[in-house]
Amino acid sequence: MPDRPIPGAAADLEPSSRPGVPMERAPQPMAGARMPIRPQHSDVRVFKHKGRAGFPPVFGTAQPPRGLSGLLRKVAYGYPDHWARHWMILLLADRVDVWEHRLARAAPWAVPTAGVLALTGVAWRKWARA
Amino acid sequence: MRALTYQGPFKVRVENKPDPRLEHPQDVILKVTRTAICGSDLHLLHGLVPDTRVGHTFGHEFTGVVEELGSEVTQLRKGDRVVVPFNISCGTCFYCQRGLTASCENSNPSSDVACGVYGYSHTTGGYDGGQAEYVRVPFADVGPLKIPDGMEDEEALFLGDILPTGYMGAEMGEIKGGETVVVFGAGPVGLFAMRSAWLMGAGRVIAVDCVQYRLDFAERYAKVETVNFREVDDIVLYLKDLFDGRGPDVCIDAVGMEAEGSVGQRVLGLGLKLEAGAPTVLTWCIDTVRKGGNVSIVGVYGPPWNLMPIGTAMNKGLTLRMNQCNVRRYMTHLLQHIREGRIDAKGIITHRFSLEDAPKAYHLFAQKQDGCVKCVLTPGHA
Ligand SMILES: NC(=O)c1ccc[n+]([C@@H]2O[C@H](COP(=O)([O-])OP(=O)(O)OC[C@H]3O[C@@H](n4cnc5c(N)ncnc54)[C@H](O)[C@@H]3O)[C@@H](O)[C@H]2O)c1
Ligand SMILES: [Zn+2]
Ligand SMILES: [Zn+2]
Repeated sequence: MPDRPIPGAAADLEPSSRPGVPMERAPQPMAGARMPIRPQHSDVRVFKHKGRAGFPPVFGTAQPPRGLSGLLRKVAYGYPDHWARHWMILLLADRVDVWEHRLARAAPWAVPTAGVLALTGVAWRKWARA
Repeated sequence: MRALTYQGPFKVRVENKPDPRLEHPQDVILKVTRTAICGSDLHLLHGLVPDTRVGHTFGHEFTGVVEELGSEVTQLRKGDRVVVPFNISCGTCFYCQRGLTASCENSNPSSDVACGVYGYSHTTGGYDGGQAEYVRVPFADVGPLKIPDGMEDEEALFLGDILPTGYMGAEMGEIKGGETVVVFGAGPVGLFAMRSAWLMGAGRVIAVDCVQYRLDFAERYAKVETVNFREVDDIVLYLKDLFDGRGPDVCIDAVGMEAEGSVGQRVLGLGLKLEAGAPTVLTWCIDTVRKGGNVSIVGVYGPPWNLMPIGTAMNKGLTLRMNQCNVRRYMTHLLQHIREGRIDAKGIITHRFSLEDAPKAYHLFAQKQDGCVKCVLTPGHA
């Protein structure tokens, strides 16, 4: 072997010193683990993909589904996750989600502005005809 | 609390949102003290991970202080300083029992592809992440590792993700002593894979990237030889030639789905989304490694598919190994390496920002500006 260029070189040469060898080890519960795991309760809507039998006992509840993007996500989770359409519909939903948020943010000024423009248009046409 | 939130592709901002609460008796709430931006966060930022919802808080590399405890938590006390693995693992399921904590089946309803991960879209369970003042940590007696007294948070921070990931990348290369190893990607994960390859007794380690300052950093930090693939005609031939025309024994992919280097793959995968990102480095690994060699993949790819030369791999008799990192298994061992000076984990930090400046940090890290290798964020209260 060439010169050992950096501290600790070959310190883990022995495969048995490596924590992930073998990758799959004989089954045993991890330190600190507690059984049974009580099921988490949630008031918000959380999706489970169609290929999964039951709900896991623990899950995240961030950003519950809403609006059209929420509807699309519901459709996507109706397919198991080995179906390409599951992922394609989710990607579409993500884009819709962004537009929904942009529109919602724009609404406070966009709606009045559109109103004013429309009224001006009507007034102008009336005036032009007169 | 203040938290980073996703606003759409290429756009994040820091805003107020409700504090997380205990949702399960095995949860704790952590007051975040340090949080890092990972290469994986860039895939989220760029809108490549399905079911990334507007308002989602990223961040799966963090340290913190225990603030609130669920009723069933017994191993932690209020005030404990901890570093948290990015995988949310129960410790008791079929996979956790076998050490495959990245495959835990008790934390992610959305997909069987991976387990729950902090701040990594609803595809990995819909948990808000740690680029915030507070974060909810499930299975708190299983994942978090207490940071020893006298050790700074920043020294332990990378035990939650990139250090174990780099280490596992080298481990899956099955180095037995004296092997030649090529690491694609001189980002944080690649750098730790290079250091780990030396720890396992590699004979020669070569880093490949196209960002010159990162290659220079790798040369200093990991004492490796380097190649800028933009400066050679054909990177595969170049590397094969370095090793008697056969290629190296081991190739490690520490780049993943956003690789540079092939216009075709980028158009198909990142532009048209006809495949899940650009598997350019995976292709290079398979083409470069010697027959019968080992390809280790820690760069992230997503479902449903990618265009990659499986026939070449088959005919060359390669071993392909890959996984999300089973972080919890490695933490204690690598903590020891840090304490005994064999790995300078903190040494890859080039930039520090307050959480408020997170959008700027994302920009710098994503654009590879100002010599940026790794950004660490500090919430206002820390
Ligand atoms: N498996 C896991 O558990 C796990 C954990 C953490 C990170 N990751 C993944 O590891 C990868 C690297 O993470 P990082 O934090 O170092 O990211 P990074 O973006 O900082 O680094 C990637 C590096 O690859 C370089 N690169 C791009 N195209 C290349 C090519 N064709 N050949 C060689 N180099 C190329 C880039 O210039 C960059 O320096 C990401 O895909 C990330 O998602 C996986
Ligand atoms: Zn990461
Ligand atoms: Zn589990």
